[in-house]
Amino acid sequence: MKAATTKRNILTTFTKGDIFSKLSYILFGLSNIRNGQVLKGLIFMALEALYLVFMILTGGHNLAMMRTLGTSTQGMTFNESLGIYEVSQGDNSMLILLSGVVTLVITGFFLALLLFSVYSGEAARQAKELGRRPNTFLEDIKSLANENIHFLFLSVPVLGLSIFTVMPLIYMILMAFTNYDQDHQPPGNLFTWVGLKNFFTLLSGGDRLAATFWPVLGWTLIWGFAATFSCYFGGMILAMIINSKGIKHKKFWRTIFVITMAIPAFISLRVVSTMLGERGIFNVLLQQWGFTDHALPFLSNITWARVSVILVNFWIGVPVTMLMVSGILMNIPGELYESAKIDGAGPFTMFRKITFPYMWFVTTPYIISNLISNFNNFNPIYFLTGGEPLTLDYYKGAGKTDLLVTWLYKLTKDSNDYNLAATIGIIIFVISAIFTLVSFSRSNAMKNEEGFQ
Amino acid sequence: MSVTHKTVIGLNLKNHLKAVAASLVAAVALTLPYIHVSGEKKSIPGAIVQLLSGSESTAFIWLLVGAAIFTAVSAALSLIGMVKMSKPLACIWQAAQALSLIFLGLLMFSTRMMLKEAGITDNFLNKDLGAGYWLAFVSSFAALVLVMKVTKTNVGYIALTILGVIWLFPILWIVLTAFRAEQGYYVGYFIPKGFTLDNFKNLFTNQSVLPFAKWWLNTLIVAACSCVINTLIILATSYVLSRTRFAGRKAFMNILMIIGMFPGFMSLIAVYNILKGIGLNQSLMALIVVGAAGAAMGYHVSKGFFDTIPKAIDEAAIIDGASRLQIFIHVTLPLAKSIIVYTVLGSFLATWSDYIFPSMLFGDKQSSYTVAVGLYWLTDFKRIDTYYTQFAAGAVIVALPIVILFIWLQRFYVEGLSGSVKG
Repeated sequence: MKAATTKRNILTTFTKGDIFSKLSYILFGLSNIRNGQVLKGLIFMALEALYLVFMILTGGHNLAMMRTLGTSTQGMTFNESLGIYEVSQGDNSMLILLSGVVTLVITGFFLALLLFSVYSGEAARQAKELGRRPNTFLEDIKSLANENIHFLFLSVPVLGLSIFTVMPLIYMILMAFTNYDQDHQPPGNLFTWVGLKNFFTLLSGGDRLAATFWPVLGWTLIWGFAATFSCYFGGMILAMIINSKGIKHKKFWRTIFVITMAIPAFISLRVVSTMLGERGIFNVLLQQWGFTDHALPFLSNITWARVSVILVNFWIGVPVTMLMVSGILMNIPGELYESAKIDGAGPFTMFRKITFPYMWFVTTPYIISNLISNFNNFNPIYFLTGGEPLTLDYYKGAGKTDLLVTWLYKLTKDSNDYNLAATIGIIIFVISAIFTLVSFSRSNAMKNEEGFQ
Repeated sequence: MSVTHKTVIGLNLKNHLKAVAASLVAAVALTLPYIHVSGEKKSIPGAIVQLLSGSESTAFIWLLVGAAIFTAVSAALSLIGMVKMSKPLACIWQAAQALSLIFLGLLMFSTRMMLKEAGITDNFLNKDLGAGYWLAFVSSFAALVLVMKVTKTNVGYIALTILGVIWLFPILWIVLTAFRAEQGYYVGYFIPKGFTLDNFKNLFTNQSVLPFAKWWLNTLIVAACSCVINTLIILATSYVLSRTRFAGRKAFMNILMIIGMFPGFMSLIAVYNILKGIGLNQSLMALIVVGAAGAAMGYHVSKGFFDTIPKAIDEAAIIDGASRLQIFIHVTLPLAKSIIVYTVLGSFLATWSDYIFPSMLFGDKQSSYTVAVGLYWLTDFKRIDTYYTQFAAGAVIVALPIVILFIWLQRFYVEGLSGSVKG
């Protein structure tokens, strides 16, 4: 009895198990059949067989092709029987890579099946050893609505994420290690593995690419911090004004600012972009009102454009922070302010000593996730400036207001340098990961403290 | 000195004297130079006299008159208040002071047009405004702030008014453009010369060139389907992650977090190829499927909300013999109304304004465009001159239902947002 109840993990199930347990690592579901769950065991076996058939028919070939990504280039060959040249179908590196990735993901599912069937067989064996009757197939189905509800509820998301997120992601990550650029476009040309070359050219190469990457990264960081903190403080101040005593019709004021937030970003940004143009309404009015006698280069001068995007982002971002902060402000205990007032603190001191520390404490994780999403904030840049003003110093297509993400997008959409785009994507991932780790360690540190009470 | 010792109920007389002083300084500044025109200096009353006697008339003269009158009136009221102060008097004074400031502020934006219309000078810039103007403006502002302190009115109103104007300015512009009769992107004025509904009509009649109705319908279909499917997926995922514990739960959450750190559209090209493989490319179905596939990534907010529902409720239901599925449907969901609204609204808005993926998916196939892609296509530099007013009308049509929805359901959105911070 005692031995049976001890939990076995995936290794000890094998080393301590009987012959059926051992064999079920190779023949899935054997242990289930042996212990009375015949239908379940057969399903496991059928799935295994299906996978093996798939691997023998195409999967093995797919994986083998991944080693070279194709060898025969599309070209003209002489057809002797007809006496003419005809196009010979060459290998398509892109499709080879894609089907290879599909095979890898299917193999991943197969490994999951292995684990699942072993655990399931082990559970059935233990139940039998304890003298209980293992679940029938119908009971297993019913358990989906109860203790196994996670299988029911997560099956769709897992399937969807695997096909449309994980698989494409693996595909693109692999692409960073190939030379799939504009000179190696299938089906006309093949591309192949180049190892870490893309990373080296991008980060330390002496040519245009490195000379583009570092300034763009620098601007991305400046933008991220400027956009995050301007909106954070702006929103906080706005929320404090609206929530302060003596302001009537709070809902009305809040609604005025919320309107900008409710309008889809692409619309408001496109509108503002047309307003900021050289002949746009801002320039027209400023000249008419006598503030300037020539059109201001809001989006065409580097510094102006950078300031403009940050200001427009401020216009869009402040209401979001304002709404969020409003909720938190109401949670600050009112006694804190009253006692501070008795001690003779002015509004500025109260902000510095009470409101701000409280807000900072509560919202640190929000700020960091906001920072990361601002590094990847595609919309304001793409819809406002499209990365312009362009410059000759940069790799073609990239402009002075381009962030890493918008540059990545241009590389995929306009110049088909998929390898570079994928490399940049991985670098963005690394940056996000670093900030997330910092955030985690900080929030752990704060959990240990008593914090702001 | 006696004034400072007086007390009037409802007023705070600490700043009274300062307010009076500022108000008087503003009035005195009216006699100082307002503009420099070709070496000549003119005060505001002087400018009024010159403009009235001049041959050319200008519509802006009432701004000058208003500024002069209200500044003088508030100075007079401040003097009356020195003799006998009362709450109604202070309120009238405050209103006059606010009007004076508004008129003085408007002068900054209208002086050039006024001088131009009157035929006095064409190349006036605001840097030529005289010291008297700036003194009047600043002291009028100071006086208003001080009077508001006297009447115990929150000074925040000034900031809110200015910010509100700035925030609504672009929106006002696009609404005005949507009703503008004159076509074209470039117009040299803010308020249209003629109003019309044609821009809206054109959007729906000229279907061969501009299939806006089709775009709108496409978007509605996708957004409606997505918000139902995505909401179900998000709620189910976050329920399971919040209320149940199972092997691999932490790992699943970590994997989602890691996936989330990659820029989403990095893999769009691969998604496109996969869709092509299953024959779904260039169809609206693809948008719905891909949206639903990634929906689980947005589980955080609703998980944070489910975490706050006491576990005891679940346990009680389990003792009563309810299954997890029944608990989810009959216990948890009815308690989660605000988060359901938040999720529905969020996924509806996200689909409605998604640009990158549809634009990549549909390429040149205009009949499948969603409004986001279509409206962006209209502002292309080749088309912007022809279609700018239609674009504005389209923007209004697209934004209006969302704004209404948003304002109506604002409360839920706020709850969700503050939930996201806690979670």
